[in-house]
Amino acid sequence: MSELLKTVLHERHVAQGATMVDFGGWHMPLQYRTGIVEEHLATRKSAGLFDVSHMGRFIVRGAGALHFLQHLLSNNAAALDIGFAQYTKIPNDRGGALDDAYLYRFTPDEYLLVVNASNREADWRYLSQMLSLFPDVQMEEVSESMAMISLQGPRSQTILEEVITGGALPRPLKNALGTVTAGERRILVSRTGYTGEPLGFECFLAAADAPWLWDLLLEKGAAPVGLGARDTLRLEAGLPLFGHELGKDPTGAEIPIFASSLARFAVSFSPLKGAFVGREPLAVQSAALKKIQAGDYSSIGDLPRIIMPFALRGRGIARAGFRVFRGENEVGFVTSGTMVPFWNAAGAREMRAIGLMLVDSRLRRGDPVEIEIRGNRVEAVAVAYHLRSEKVPVPPETVQAKPVLEAVIPAEEGIQGSGCRICPA
Amino acid sequence: MKNIEEVALPEELRYSADHEWVASEGDLVRVGISDYAQDQLGDIVYVELPAVGARIAQGAIFATVESVKSVSECFMPLSGEVAEVNGPLGDDPALLNQNPYGGGWMILVKPDDPAAFSKLLTAEAYRARLKGGA
Repeated sequence: MSELLKTVLHERHVAQGATMVDFGGWHMPLQYRTGIVEEHLATRKSAGLFDVSHMGRFIVRGAGALHFLQHLLSNNAAALDIGFAQYTKIPNDRGGALDDAYLYRFTPDEYLLVVNASNREADWRYLSQMLSLFPDVQMEEVSESMAMISLQGPRSQTILEEVITGGALPRPLKNALGTVTAGERRILVSRTGYTGEPLGFECFLAAADAPWLWDLLLEKGAAPVGLGARDTLRLEAGLPLFGHELGKDPTGAEIPIFASSLARFAVSFSPLKGAFVGREPLAVQSAALKKIQAGDYSSIGDLPRIIMPFALRGRGIARAGFRVFRGENEVGFVTSGTMVPFWNAAGAREMRAIGLMLVDSRLRRGDPVEIEIRGNRVEAVAVAYHLRSEKVPVPPETVQAKPVLEAVIPAEEGIQGSGCRICPA
Repeated sequence: MKNIEEVALPEELRYSADHEWVASEGDLVRVGISDYAQDQLGDIVYVELPAVGARIAQGAIFATVESVKSVSECFMPLSGEVAEVNGPLGDDPALLNQNPYGGGWMILVKPDDPAAFSKLLTAEAYRARLKGGA
């Protein structure tokens, strides 16, 4: 067995009493002593601090960089202004995803591509192989030299402002970037995240400076959050996770990129982009999705199943892989499921079982389904989303994502509404 | 997560290698999961208990306990008939974390063999197993 990789903050996690687990080859904190529920709520109510240095970070530069990115990523990198980031997929030629990623453009002459930890090596191999086809492009892996710390929640901006001494935080626009300094140290900051919080930042800085920033943000009141709550937060926000909502399904079949509701923000058929890997199958999926949304199922074979959020009405927790039924028909399965905490209207703490499912594209929001949990069919309902957030990501501290129970809205409004962090800049 | 020395193991209880505790109460025994088990599981958010009257053999599954991240099964520490279950756990599974030996008890059992209790692990023997990496 090979040695697990450690981020530059590994010692901090161990010293803070974190329960450490193997995650994609990395020795990472699942939770700290506070536990997943408290960490989830701390992020929603105040500010959660995440070590996401295990994710892969690649710099792409050179005169041919844009051409390279346009060909290998699904989004329109030409539409990415300096000082912004965009969500994107790394498609394969069948319309499935090799990975999903975020592309950041801090400076005019280079791009930063952040990929999932579990796919880092495969992505690097794939992109490196493709380099030879594109003149004037260089790629550099900075996963080790550059650390990545995420600060999410209503107090995140206040906390970050206490730390910085120069520069300016990114403008209050989704996916906006900025460069700040704290004394001699330089931090690249983006208004991005994976929690559904309208206010949240990802900080990129020299690995050697990461323990200093981590300690300081904790001292200013941020709560350390492990991978357990990172998963419940993203699931409550309805955000996809590679290996669950992207990639292969439990039967080994490819999940079409357009099965995921975020595809429409991550796939561009712009003429500026031209041909790219997966364009044809993705165009077929996109056309099928438009028809399905209009109630025309004549092309449903091109996109037989889509991912929808569900809320469990009966008792239990629906876990990934559990089968979903509508009447006697098996219509799909759960891709991610958990129980998340929230504060009810009276201010008391409650738990609710929610998840995402890959189901028959004909299913509509509000449709009742049943999920088989250890042999018993438990009632559930297809919903629009689990969480809503305010539109403008600015303080005051009252701006925060709010849980929504069994949200059922007309299909045309879209599951994102205003609630999702991964939306067009 | 607690160090083994921090794990509370009341002396008067007996334990199974699968991390259940058993208390002797006259003809009956009360069963739950140990402080070590609840700490390992983390925030417990769902508990499925057996029906009253169910006959369950030693080593068979009598309950399912779910934390946010995982599903775990509880194994019967001794054979017997379920005389009572802790209903409030259904609405408040966090009782298992907060008070595993009190409000977090799971089932009351009429054992087939009253002598089975004394064959279970003592607190000392159970702690020794935990230290051994059980």
